[in-house]
Amino acid sequence: MSRIRLFLPNDTSSRAAGANQLAEAWADRAEIELIRTSSHGAFFLEPMIERDTPDGRVAWFNVTPDDLPRILAGEGGTRVDQIPFLKQQTRFTFANFGVTQPLSLEEYRVHGGMKGLEAAGNMSPGAIIEELRISRLRGRGGAAFPVWTKWQVAQRAPADRKYVVANADEGDAGTYCDRMVMEGEPFRLIEGMLICARAIGADTGYIYCRNEYPAAAHALQAAIQKAEEAGLLESHGHRVRLEVVVGAGSYVVGEETALLESLEGRRGIVQARPPYPAEAGLYGRPTIVSNVLTFATVSTILARGGEWYASMGTERSRGTVVLQIGGRVKQPGLVEIPFGATLAEVLERFGGGMTPGSRLKAVQVGGPLGSLFPAAKLNIQVCYDVFVKAGAILGHGGIVVFDHETDMVELARHYTVFTAEESCGKCTPCRIGSIRSREILERIQAGRGTADDLALLTDLGETMKTASLCAFGGRAPYPVLTAIEHFGEEFRRLMT
Amino acid sequence: MTVPQRSVLASVLDRCRAKQPNQPTILQALLTVQEELGHVPLDAVGQIARTLEVTEADVAGVLSYYPDLRTKPPGRHVIRICMGESCAANHCGRVLRELQEQLRADVGETTSGDRFTLETVYCVGNCAVSPSVVIDDDLYGRILPSQVASLLAQYK
Repeated sequence: MSRIRLFLPNDTSSRAAGANQLAEAWADRAEIELIRTSSHGAFFLEPMIERDTPDGRVAWFNVTPDDLPRILAGEGGTRVDQIPFLKQQTRFTFANFGVTQPLSLEEYRVHGGMKGLEAAGNMSPGAIIEELRISRLRGRGGAAFPVWTKWQVAQRAPADRKYVVANADEGDAGTYCDRMVMEGEPFRLIEGMLICARAIGADTGYIYCRNEYPAAAHALQAAIQKAEEAGLLESHGHRVRLEVVVGAGSYVVGEETALLESLEGRRGIVQARPPYPAEAGLYGRPTIVSNVLTFATVSTILARGGEWYASMGTERSRGTVVLQIGGRVKQPGLVEIPFGATLAEVLERFGGGMTPGSRLKAVQVGGPLGSLFPAAKLNIQVCYDVFVKAGAILGHGGIVVFDHETDMVELARHYTVFTAEESCGKCTPCRIGSIRSREILERIQAGRGTADDLALLTDLGETMKTASLCAFGGRAPYPVLTAIEHFGEEFRRLMT
Repeated sequence: MTVPQRSVLASVLDRCRAKQPNQPTILQALLTVQEELGHVPLDAVGQIARTLEVTEADVAGVLSYYPDLRTKPPGRHVIRICMGESCAANHCGRVLRELQEQLRADVGETTSGDRFTLETVYCVGNCAVSPSVVIDDDLYGRILPSQVASLLAQYK
């Protein structure tokens, strides 16, 4: 009798939700074969088990070890293509998630992988960059800079050596799409980096992976090894060397100049630009530093064409946006849709409402430097420019929902504790401003604050916004100031 | 440093130098030392600097900059509670308070008998299954304050 194949995600969050307990409990069941896949990112349903059927894959949700008999009998279960959370998405970068085995190069190819690299192999560097120009892809790490411009600068810069660096220091709390790419489809990142190496003429690539993501670093190392064995690590007939470098817990290292400092082994201190890394980056050579998700998107653009990509989204935010919903909602997970839906629509369609007993109070978009939105202000279109106009950022696509029990003064203090700890210290507004902001908030919390303190906090925030060297100090005041703007009563209530 | 520590340090540094003869990176050397010794003893800074041919200030600067590098040995188990925004939204503060009470230790402290060191971390990317607690290499999600005691009992 052939064994029944059951698919079980091996993503870090799937395991945190209990996937390994299932694997352990069923380890000696000879009638089943467990295949560990990536995750769909519908984490509220995990641990989730799937089976092949004539109608496609069928899934069982929130599975416990005792559920095995009914899974084997085929009782219950939902067709994966009928899961509303997934059905309403437009997945390209994450199309294979939950389907394939992360370290199977063969499965990656069967599901369309390496087609972008093959296409790029028949194109000149200029033509690859032109395709990206047509796609109008903007960097997915947060700064949203046009990708093709950066690549063109590096391509045109004369140098004995150039580098490709994947920024895998996904430090924004509330985001996990880079982690999912690295763990779930590492070949996609490798493919994007190889396309970049070909376009700019680089022979060395580094993936700077944060220390908090051990499984991602491990998967990438294994995938690089497999790509090497398959003879994929080359460009223009020359070998391309890829290496994973693990960080040591600094948030600011996510800023590109600080990242390069750290890659060279020094303190992760932000450097003044220009020169930009594309002109003079790692070891003074032209270097493309792009976010993991950017490289992961490049692969699909080269495979399907820039025009196809640019046909989705809004006027100035083309393609799909990858959002990661977390916090007090019923359905936290990863969402890929074209740019343009409103934040309210995203939360309604995918968030599934608040966890029982809680009411929505505030939503933060874009990580710990992102602005807070009150419930009444969620009717904002999810795209780069509308957010910037509203004084907010889309950042890396993290959406965190806070409930009615959240103490906004404490939350504001929480942000300043984070900023004070993580400030690299190079510029004064950020180094001093973050600590003074924390002290003021602690004074208010202790009941010793006055209206002058709120004015001072606002003034300090404005100074940090305009005078900080990098986006860290420049954005750090936003969550605090938007907390005061929308929930000022909570601050004033504590004042004497 | 003890004599065995010194000899481990010497062999680690030789390896680092051999791996990157032209571009020895201070950070990677310190991470390797920490992996072998559990921490980077402050009195190892001189030897590390000499081997890598950089100044002691360079090494000390990197050592003090990165939160994950430690200069004191941690307890047998390191507990890191995630303070990221999704965990905060899911009231990780209550889990932290429970940990502090059960361990009778504050963040950054090691319990008596060196059993646990309590630390915070800003996001482990487990936001959709939060709040998160990491003990050594094990990640736990959807943790409630009521589960803390049984979680700790698994680590002797």
